[in-house]
Amino acid sequence: MSHLFNHNGAENTGYSQPTPLACETEPTVPQGLIRSNAARWPRLSEPEMVRHYTWLSKRNFGIDTGFYPLGSCTMKHNPRVNEVIAQLPGIADIHPHQPEHHLQGLLSIFYEMQHMLEVCAGMDQVTLQPVAGAQGEFTAIRCIQEYFRHRGEDQRTKVIVPDSAHGTNPASAAMAGFEIVEIPSLADGRMDLDALAAVADETTAAMMITNPNTLGLFEADIKAASEIVHQAGGQMYYDGANFNAILGITSPGLMGFDSVHFNLHKTFSQPHGGGGPGSGPIGVKAHLAPFLPGPLAARREPTGDERPSAVDEFWYHWHQPEHSIGKVQQWHGNAGAVIRCWAYYRRYGSGLKAMSEHAVLNANYLRHAIHREAKKAGVDHLFIDGAETDVAKHEFTLSMQPAKDALGISAMDVAKGLLDRGYMAPTVYFPLVVPECMMIEPTETESKDTLDTFAEHFAQVLKTDPEALHAAPITTPVRRVDEVYAARNLCLRHPYEE
Amino acid sequence: MIGCSPISGGLKQFIMSGTRMDFHIPTVRSVRAMVDQLPNRGREAEMLQEMGLSSMEDLFSDIPDDVRFKGELPLPGPQSEEEIISDARRLLGANADMGSRPSFLGAGLYRNYVPAAVFQLVTRGEFLTAYTPYQPEVSQGMLQAMWEFQTLISELVGLPIANLSLYDGSTAAAEALTCAVRVHNRKASQPNTVYVSALTPPDKMSVMHNYCQGAEIDIRTIAHNDDGTINMDSLKEAAGSCGVYLEQPNPLGVLDEGLTGVKAIIGEHTALIVGVQPVSLGVVEAPGHYGADIVVGEGQPLGSPVTGGGPLYGIFACTKPYLRLMPGRIVGRSIDVDGKEAYCLTLSTREQHIRRHRATSNICTNETLIALMGAMHMALLGPDGLRDLAHRNMMACQKAKEVLAATPGVRIVHDAHHFNEFAIEVQGSAAACLDYLDSNGIIGGLDLGRWYEGTTNQLLITTTDQTTLRDIESLSAQLALWAAHGEVSA
Repeated sequence: MSHLFNHNGAENTGYSQPTPLACETEPTVPQGLIRSNAARWPRLSEPEMVRHYTWLSKRNFGIDTGFYPLGSCTMKHNPRVNEVIAQLPGIADIHPHQPEHHLQGLLSIFYEMQHMLEVCAGMDQVTLQPVAGAQGEFTAIRCIQEYFRHRGEDQRTKVIVPDSAHGTNPASAAMAGFEIVEIPSLADGRMDLDALAAVADETTAAMMITNPNTLGLFEADIKAASEIVHQAGGQMYYDGANFNAILGITSPGLMGFDSVHFNLHKTFSQPHGGGGPGSGPIGVKAHLAPFLPGPLAARREPTGDERPSAVDEFWYHWHQPEHSIGKVQQWHGNAGAVIRCWAYYRRYGSGLKAMSEHAVLNANYLRHAIHREAKKAGVDHLFIDGAETDVAKHEFTLSMQPAKDALGISAMDVAKGLLDRGYMAPTVYFPLVVPECMMIEPTETESKDTLDTFAEHFAQVLKTDPEALHAAPITTPVRRVDEVYAARNLCLRHPYEE
Repeated sequence: MIGCSPISGGLKQFIMSGTRMDFHIPTVRSVRAMVDQLPNRGREAEMLQEMGLSSMEDLFSDIPDDVRFKGELPLPGPQSEEEIISDARRLLGANADMGSRPSFLGAGLYRNYVPAAVFQLVTRGEFLTAYTPYQPEVSQGMLQAMWEFQTLISELVGLPIANLSLYDGSTAAAEALTCAVRVHNRKASQPNTVYVSALTPPDKMSVMHNYCQGAEIDIRTIAHNDDGTINMDSLKEAAGSCGVYLEQPNPLGVLDEGLTGVKAIIGEHTALIVGVQPVSLGVVEAPGHYGADIVVGEGQPLGSPVTGGGPLYGIFACTKPYLRLMPGRIVGRSIDVDGKEAYCLTLSTREQHIRRHRATSNICTNETLIALMGAMHMALLGPDGLRDLAHRNMMACQKAKEVLAATPGVRIVHDAHHFNEFAIEVQGSAAACLDYLDSNGIIGGLDLGRWYEGTTNQLLITTTDQTTLRDIESLSAQLALWAAHGEVSA
């Protein structure tokens, strides 16, 4: 083990700094504010620090390590050139409060990204300010809230959410002050239009839904759902978590949505970074646009003075929406993430449809290959499809309930068995409507060979002796971690006294 | 077109076979451009055939025609990596980066040096390309790094508990307010009410309003004295509310000793929330040592470039009574089945994926990787390095104050202890003065007229460890010229 807090080198160990500027009078901290005890931080030389974090990195699994079929997370390859671009001084070293003529390049990229997302989603205006998917949800719901307040429809205090929705949907709407109305899904996991019609009324502000749904199925009745909500005077909100399935094929606008958030860290390959940063822009139809957080990137003809420093035939500037809800992040959002995603989008441009087609091709092929290999290995009776369908979209679910019944093998056991074989486990136990669920999303950046090999390993895991599988993983840096122990014996920081 | 193309055998064979394909291959060049991200390009027919499908279109047979997108997306064609990086260099090169000229713009984001090792290590793919550590057995690296981050922050601010980051300083402050209300509302004599320094920058205040309005929290303000310190009479009104938010140093760079007496005034049932500039804590007392219940702040100066305002990381630390109602992910130390030391996410029952609409926050994706950069920077600094870094910031600030105090037409607004920024009064409008400085190649700070009423002739001047004597002298010389020019035109 390498422990950061075991490094207690000599005083002043660390990285060397230049001499401070010389002053006539030494600056002072007010007497009562002088730091009494220095932080008990470790003291490391650079080689020790580099080794510590390199050692830690070797105990972590990323897409670069191996196949990462984590359902609902769209773990596609992160092109390295995007990291190079994000470190250029023209993004790394700029301040959001610099004047517009200092930021023409940034503004033009923001404008291009807003436009691209508007085109892909069928929306009229995009803002890039929200910094994560959940914040995008919150922002869109806030815009809808202000829209209704503006119209004097204050009685719209409820947001409808299917029971299969991501937890962020109800959490975001509740944070904005809405009451949550949860509607049950049908037995096959699809949306229940009757249940929706029964609750949509003059108190409905919005319905939040994702399509394809969390089972990886396209909700063919989506337009009917939009009509029900619109008839009741409510707004439709599209959760863009599964946007990777439909780019260039359909759009939230065509499905009747009024607003949408994008997870740039899913669809457009901002690296997930072990949990963040993300970027969660939202797009809205024209009637909601005046309420968006500002400022937005806009453009016009340059004046004669401006023309020499323009990056193209336009002059880019910030624009404040008329009835803006204000800010959800203090600056302009995660500009660094937006730049990476711009670089990613430029790879495809008008060909983005191919990205989604291959994401869906790979998901369906992997589903097929898993069934094929399981049959060969004689373990095809140990799982069933989470949902009956001819084609899935970008992800699919399997239920391990038969394995549980026959052999006591749980979805978690299978997940841990896959870790031993060098794979990241699929998402397990979500969505809840599928018992012993495994949710698998390969993304478009995996080759057929990778998918075939994974399918073989999946079948082999199911052939493993159940006792051995309960004990998995055994090849990982640690074995199954006791989460109950962690919660009962809270140790949230280094215990110096030990 | 196909005949002269260098496309792979698989794709050629597939096109020759005459299978109907709906996906459009616009030009040979674009095939080559996208193929680096789509390993199965050219193997579609083979894969479809095995599934018993005849075209890509069959994969989308479940999408009704009336919601289908017709035609090609009206966007420019695909580009190769070389073309993308060339465009990126051109466009981003057109931005005026702060390293290419003297810059005195800070106001919440600070251009501090980040050691090279931080960038080298944080882009290791095992960190960069990992998801949230839901499978702890293969995520020990990030989990341990975040547990160490929690410890580093806890020590820095003097509180026992820290989470592994919120989005930025503004959302951390906003979530601290809602957290304070959750904890104190029942005993508060001013329920659903919090008090915030009137100096809080309006953009941050706006974030607070957006986060607080859903719970119908009333945000009131606390006045400041002319010398920049907190007004104790105004503060007394906050007693019995759910929480008080103040910054140290305050948004005008003033170090205010008065904050050490705040907790005694507002009492046990009102949370003292202190917003910090983390580098200052190398020399300034940790708020946890003078009664803060929650400490928040913009983590960026430790570990991250300014990056146009994001990604950043929000610091959130607190005492025990807030633990179970606080926002954000937390890592705990545990054991594995063999009793070996291991780490995992803990106290997840506060979070949205379990508690749904009753969660303490909607946050899911956070800023882990930027927090990791912070941890790496802190590890390299050590306690002595942090003290030195804070000292350098203060020395640069003091030097700038000394030089500008002697500059004609400039007045230092607050006779106070400053950390790394301070307000000055200039001749005429601050906005016009900034334009003048800009036309002479200097980013002159923040026009305080953007933040407050009655300060349209004030600039907030920020120095950091990157500020040089020459930068300060250039600013002084140009401000003197501006003063002279201003007098002439008056």
